[in-house]
Amino acid sequence: MKELKPRDRFIRTLRHEPTDRVPVLYRMKHEAKAKLARVYGIADASTGRKHNPELELRLGNDAIIYQIGINADFSHRHIAIGETWFNHFGVGYGKSGLQGRTAEEETEFKKTQDFWGPAKVVPENFPKHHPIKSMEDFKNYKWPDPNDPALLDPINDICKRYQDDNFIIVDLSSTLIEAAYAHIVGTQNFFLYMFDEPELVKGVLDGLTDYYTQIGLNAIRRGADMIRVGDDVGAQQAMMVSPKQWRELAKPRFDSMFKAYRKENPDIFIKLHSCGDYSPILPDEIDLGVNLSGLMQPTGGLKDQVGIKQKYGKDLALVGGLDVQRLLPRGQVEIVRQGVLDVMKNLAVGGGYIFSPSHYILADVPVQNIYAMIEAQREFGVYGKYPLN
Amino acid sequence: MSEPGLKIPQGWESRAPQGWEWKTLWDAVESGDHHYSGQRVKEAIDAKIDPRVILDDGLFPGFDLQSDRFSAQIIFIPEMLITARAMKVGLALIRPLLAAMAEKPVGTFVMGTVLGDMHDIGQSIVTIMLENAGFKMINLGTDVHPDKFIEAAKNEKANLVGFSALLSTTVYYQKVTIEEFIKAGHRQKVHILIGGAPTSQEWADECGADGWGKDAVEAVRLALRLVKEPREAWA
Repeated sequence: MKELKPRDRFIRTLRHEPTDRVPVLYRMKHEAKAKLARVYGIADASTGRKHNPELELRLGNDAIIYQIGINADFSHRHIAIGETWFNHFGVGYGKSGLQGRTAEEETEFKKTQDFWGPAKVVPENFPKHHPIKSMEDFKNYKWPDPNDPALLDPINDICKRYQDDNFIIVDLSSTLIEAAYAHIVGTQNFFLYMFDEPELVKGVLDGLTDYYTQIGLNAIRRGADMIRVGDDVGAQQAMMVSPKQWRELAKPRFDSMFKAYRKENPDIFIKLHSCGDYSPILPDEIDLGVNLSGLMQPTGGLKDQVGIKQKYGKDLALVGGLDVQRLLPRGQVEIVRQGVLDVMKNLAVGGGYIFSPSHYILADVPVQNIYAMIEAQREFGVYGKYPLN
Repeated sequence: MSEPGLKIPQGWESRAPQGWEWKTLWDAVESGDHHYSGQRVKEAIDAKIDPRVILDDGLFPGFDLQSDRFSAQIIFIPEMLITARAMKVGLALIRPLLAAMAEKPVGTFVMGTVLGDMHDIGQSIVTIMLENAGFKMINLGTDVHPDKFIEAAKNEKANLVGFSALLSTTVYYQKVTIEEFIKAGHRQKVHILIGGAPTSQEWADECGADGWGKDAVEAVRLALRLVKEPREAWA
């Protein structure tokens, strides 16, 4: 097949139509991106909402992702030691990894920015202040403005610059249950409130549904090709909440969101992401008309890539699957190559698959492994050639 | 796999006053009713039932049932959390009585999430379950510097130490912390367990840990086995 435009390759894959090669979607956390940007001589390696996609396009990405959800800004920004930074949802974030750090450890940490050295410990930003801790807080809570031009205007700009060639994804994660437990309410409280304060749980999820319905509609009106909702409900070995609870709390709310999006644009593509093992709800994703699902972390409960592909691959396009927990950060180059080959064999045969690691590339991935992955993807991700012939 | 069932403690009637029943407490712990579990444990204390019996015959059956269901993926984190809370409320009432009887804990366990990592859902559940299994738990929270682990292990004369990590960028600190125990000359005094999503038996071997818990239930089994294996005494 002659070479397709990235945009067409992506759309054909989502429609389970034949393509020239497997499309690619790499995402990096800022430390990994900074390392690679230096290799490629790209000055602006911004991530998060200010994301500059030039590096990802050079690596072969077929799509561009603009993050707009509750977690778009916190993990990428600089937050000083002891400082709390609040986002537009009133969630406060601070740094980890700084308890009693010595001068030597500080020097050691700086080395994590080296090209070849894997990171030791990278202080991450974490939610530490949750705005809704009680029914009283909930009643007084003011939801942010889903029509805020500061959030939305960049979509027009991205579409104008890239949409001729590339596929444009607007990312609304974290969207529902994850936004509630990780950001707005706090994890333990949220899970206990499922029994103690069910009205609070429903109220917060309804508020999120309204907010993300409206901001998603705005994104569609401004030209997005795909709405990505991200909602982490999978732990390593099992789901965090039961499939039944998910069907009660999340599914109807996603259904109403997706119906609103499709009413606005019947051709809009929808991706639903969860970390960890969320395989019990894959049939529900098909019910909801989700087009793309992933990122399929393969080391825990969601191991059986061949089985998942056989069972759901006709109805759902899949993305991800290359292990980021051990293989990518800790594997030798040959192991990385083998890993890419395995993932292509498991998931790409017959199409409907987008290649990607099973999550962001983090600071602990050595540059040589990133190269090895890209090289292997270029070698093993071509239809008509081994292993996709 | 057969559905886990309630394991009724054999001969419990002989250890309780005539006409006593535990079923409502088993049910309360199972369903996570912490108000009733507290109330029933108080009643049991007032009825002069041995606190060890309250723990074994009253509190454990419902908790064990839910642990088995959690392992079998029949229930999930929210249900396990409310059961753990119901258990904890009852345990808090009998702990002082057990201490007064000079009832010794199974062992002392220092637990924490390693430096750089703020995730604690997993290790909180493991902590509660170890506590319920009879360990004296010292939980140092998240983002714990190796020196703090060493200091706590030393002060508490710990038998076991557990390092949790969720991120591939922070599991490295499980190894670093073990190396710090070696440098400080304390490695042979404790059993070290590791856990967390990116960890594996392979990684446990590589970083020099004594054990890896695939999940919370596995971690408890492992701790109960390891605590019986002798280590060098703390000074």
